[in-house]
Amino acid sequence: MRLRPGSEELAPVSARFPAATTATVAGTALHSRRRRRSWHRRALPVAAPYALLLPTAGVIAAVLGYPLYLLVKLSFQKYGLFELVRHKGHYIGTANYARILHDSQFWTVLGRTVLFTAVNVALTLVLGTAIALLLVRLGRFMRVVLTTGLVLVWATPVVVAVDLWRWMVDYEFGVANWTLTKLHFGNFLHHDWFANPWTGFGVITALIVWGAIPFVTITVYAGLSQVPQELIEAAQIDGATSLGVFREITLPLLKPIFVILASLSIIWDFQVFNQIWIMLDERPTSDYFLMSIYSFVESFRISEYGLGSAIAVVMVLFMLGITFVYVRQMVRIGEVQ
Amino acid sequence: MSGPRTLGSKIVANALAVVVLVVMLFPVYWMVATAFKPGRDVLTYTPKWFPTHPTLANFRDAMGRAYFWSDVKNSLIIVGVVVVLSLALAFLAALALAKFRFYGRKAFIVLIIGVQMVPLNALVIPLYILLSRVHQVDKLSGVIVMYLTFVLPFTVWTLRGFMLGVPRELEEAAMVDGTTRFGAFVRILLPLVAPGLVATSIFAFIQAWNEFLIAYVFLHEPSKQTLTVWLANFTTLRGTEWGPLMAGATLTALPVLFFFLLVQRRVAFGLTAGAVRG
Amino acid sequence: MSSIRFANVSKVYGDGTLAVQSLDLEIAEGEFVVLVGPSGCGKTTALRMVAGLEEASDGEILIGDQVVNDLAPRQRDVAMVFQSYALYPHMSVRQNIAFGLRMRKVTKPEQRRRVEEIAKILGLTEHLDRRPAQLSGGQRQRVAMGRAIVREPKAFLMDEPLSNLDAKLRVQMRAEIARIQRRLKVTTLYVTHDQVEAMTMADRVAVMRRGVLQQTDAPQRVYESPANLFVASFVGSPPMNLLEARLSRGPDGLVCRIGAAEVDLGHRPELERFADRTIGVGIRPEHVREAEGEEPRLRGEALLVEALGAELLAHVAVPAQPLLVEDVREGAGADDDEAALPAAATPEGETTMLARLDAESRVRAGDLVGLSFDTRRLHFFDLETGLSIRPVAAPAPAAVAG
Repeated sequence: MRLRPGSEELAPVSARFPAATTATVAGTALHSRRRRRSWHRRALPVAAPYALLLPTAGVIAAVLGYPLYLLVKLSFQKYGLFELVRHKGHYIGTANYARILHDSQFWTVLGRTVLFTAVNVALTLVLGTAIALLLVRLGRFMRVVLTTGLVLVWATPVVVAVDLWRWMVDYEFGVANWTLTKLHFGNFLHHDWFANPWTGFGVITALIVWGAIPFVTITVYAGLSQVPQELIEAAQIDGATSLGVFREITLPLLKPIFVILASLSIIWDFQVFNQIWIMLDERPTSDYFLMSIYSFVESFRISEYGLGSAIAVVMVLFMLGITFVYVRQMVRIGEVQ
Repeated sequence: MSGPRTLGSKIVANALAVVVLVVMLFPVYWMVATAFKPGRDVLTYTPKWFPTHPTLANFRDAMGRAYFWSDVKNSLIIVGVVVVLSLALAFLAALALAKFRFYGRKAFIVLIIGVQMVPLNALVIPLYILLSRVHQVDKLSGVIVMYLTFVLPFTVWTLRGFMLGVPRELEEAAMVDGTTRFGAFVRILLPLVAPGLVATSIFAFIQAWNEFLIAYVFLHEPSKQTLTVWLANFTTLRGTEWGPLMAGATLTALPVLFFFLLVQRRVAFGLTAGAVRG
Repeated sequence: MSSIRFANVSKVYGDGTLAVQSLDLEIAEGEFVVLVGPSGCGKTTALRMVAGLEEASDGEILIGDQVVNDLAPRQRDVAMVFQSYALYPHMSVRQNIAFGLRMRKVTKPEQRRRVEEIAKILGLTEHLDRRPAQLSGGQRQRVAMGRAIVREPKAFLMDEPLSNLDAKLRVQMRAEIARIQRRLKVTTLYVTHDQVEAMTMADRVAVMRRGVLQQTDAPQRVYESPANLFVASFVGSPPMNLLEARLSRGPDGLVCRIGAAEVDLGHRPELERFADRTIGVGIRPEHVREAEGEEPRLRGEALLVEALGAELLAHVAVPAQPLLVEDVREGAGADDDEAALPAAATPEGETTMLARLDAESRVRAGDLVGLSFDTRRLHFFDLETGLSIRPVAAPAPAAVAG
């Protein structure tokens, strides 16, 4: 039951400096001593995480990584039907970019897309947050009912949503037309909403905001419920009004969520394609072009894949800044987890 | 969160909630109502708010249309494979990210997040060119792989979050008790992240089922298409028959609505859990 | 049943922190050794190295006669009770306990038999089919014990298993764990920061500080003969009074001046070389008494008298210089950053002395008290090394300077 004899002689460093037993010592001095490591015990754990990641990384690289590289390459090529058949493009340098940048339509489309995105994102965030704030004030039953309703909207496939909105604004039998007329907003009977791009985009915006609100609401609500009750109570005791509490306590705490939601909304709304495409029977007029439609039409309709790619690259670059903000915010949260 | 403080504000809140509910849900209701109405009740200038003579005729019409059942089958196949594969792959990848320390881990996490931002529309072009080279256009397998790619990042991220929530000591106890490290993952970690698996599989299901653009671009044969493409083509085939169209739309939305109700708030919560507390 | 041995074991982390330094410790078969020390001293790291959950940077760890450094946890045949119990939440109590047996492919009937036997010993029979979430803290702790015991392992490893229990339960479980260990005679390495636990449960106590083993001995010996200042102030509750003192030579031997009191020590060969120097002096509260007659004393006001039922604990302000070295502060429980509070409050040359007095004593707060002590019970410490100065006659338990 005793220590090994002779251990008194070892007298480690600390013996001479009693209170100076520091915990940090360079580890190098120890490595020279006997070390027997079984090779396979070390090697297996080291390789394991890479092996686990490989399938996922492989799929992503193949479907996302390589095509992304291809996209950029394509944007510098002429790739029409002829090239499609031959499976090979014809390098033309920055001609595609020059063409689109000098094309007034490109700038119109870009401007339209930016405006469209701004309006949609703003409406979505404001309305979504408002409903989230409403949710907080509800009793349990109503909260569940409203949330369920929102979830139903959220789950609706885009194609379905487009069709049903199209039905609602149908120029002959649309229920929205009838209701708006009855509410004296004007005469909308037999009104083709899509004849005028402004009203057409109005419908599309309503459709998109409608579909996007649930996600924003539920996310903001989840964030609101994570705000510690004590903080709010302390603020109230300190004399803050409801608005004050919201502005000083809740909003700052919710900032990360808003950053994420805003980034996601901008990215999604900037890329809107399906709604316009299906709403206009796959034949949108140029007044309805957004960036994604423009790129698609150039590629698959006119078979100018190179040009379409260039437009797409511009689109991606445009969103890179937003993406960066989003990723940084997510990593901040993720790392703390 | 404090509940309403006065009866007055409570009434106002509830009234507002009802208004919001009606406004948001009305389109969905209208779609379903229309689907059950006979033709003459659909095509009226003054809307009939309730289907007073409900009928299944529209549904029969929609289901009888060309390629409906084959497209349903395609959707189911694609969705099924995507869900299973994404779960398997994501579980392994999440394990790596949550339970191991290795060089490049942070980079991969950033990649996972950032990759979700790459615009689908932009990639369709090179993907089409790529796949046409290897004659993989018009094949379900191509679509499946593409869907996997768009589903995996979120799935990996969510599962990782769930795994981080399981205390490390549970796995250590299992290892001392006699499992290998991987054995501990399967016997202890896997059952405990089951809710995460459910949430992500439902997410994958919904994403795959609802997707339009890729199916539209890559599947040309009507018999190979998915239900969403079928629905989109509905009107271009034969004018606009609203009754059957709404029926078709309802059918397309049905599975998703059903499963989404099961998972409810978990998805959004998973995305932002911890965001506030930081 | 096997012994456990640390042979010059060290653990360095990637960033250079030295968690365990050259640890030499042997736990004999069937022995109950408690590894005790303040948080961060490396005791849990040492324990985890035996389990295989941490890898030793240097040295060898032996279970029985086998070097186990390269063995995976499951190959070492040890059982561990975690601080948080680590019960599998998705399994019933029965399944939790049987888990290790299942991994070792014990037959089902045998599993059943052993689980039920253990459940009976631990009083868990009616909870066998419940989930951990449905159990109380004490019950969960017993399930964790059961899971360890049922495997009949070579050794038990326990990582602060009682810290999550309330005080009363802790006292109860302490006795139970000790009882079980004695009955089963399993080699046990137990880690805790609570020195009361260490003293009451251990066959031997091993005191650690900042990765270095300070002293290993039977609890009573550690208490009566602390090897250095750190151990002296860490072990014992209430803690030992530690003061500065000055030695000088008198007509009849050495004289020790502690504050205002001058104490005759007589012939102390071991202290000869410290004459005319300042040394550290320690006296436990139970060896401090009210002065009688003409004996040298420290006089001061009783600041506080705690009535503990069987005795009184008096806090008396005395004119003496306390030992403010780091070893003492850490032993008494201060954080590294914390300023020594009493010293900040009291002026230079004054400190508070703790004395355990008879219940019949008439000392009250505010009274002027004279304190004296049995000189045979004084502990002496070399201030340069922190080591205790041992009487020549007594054998020195091998110790490490702290």
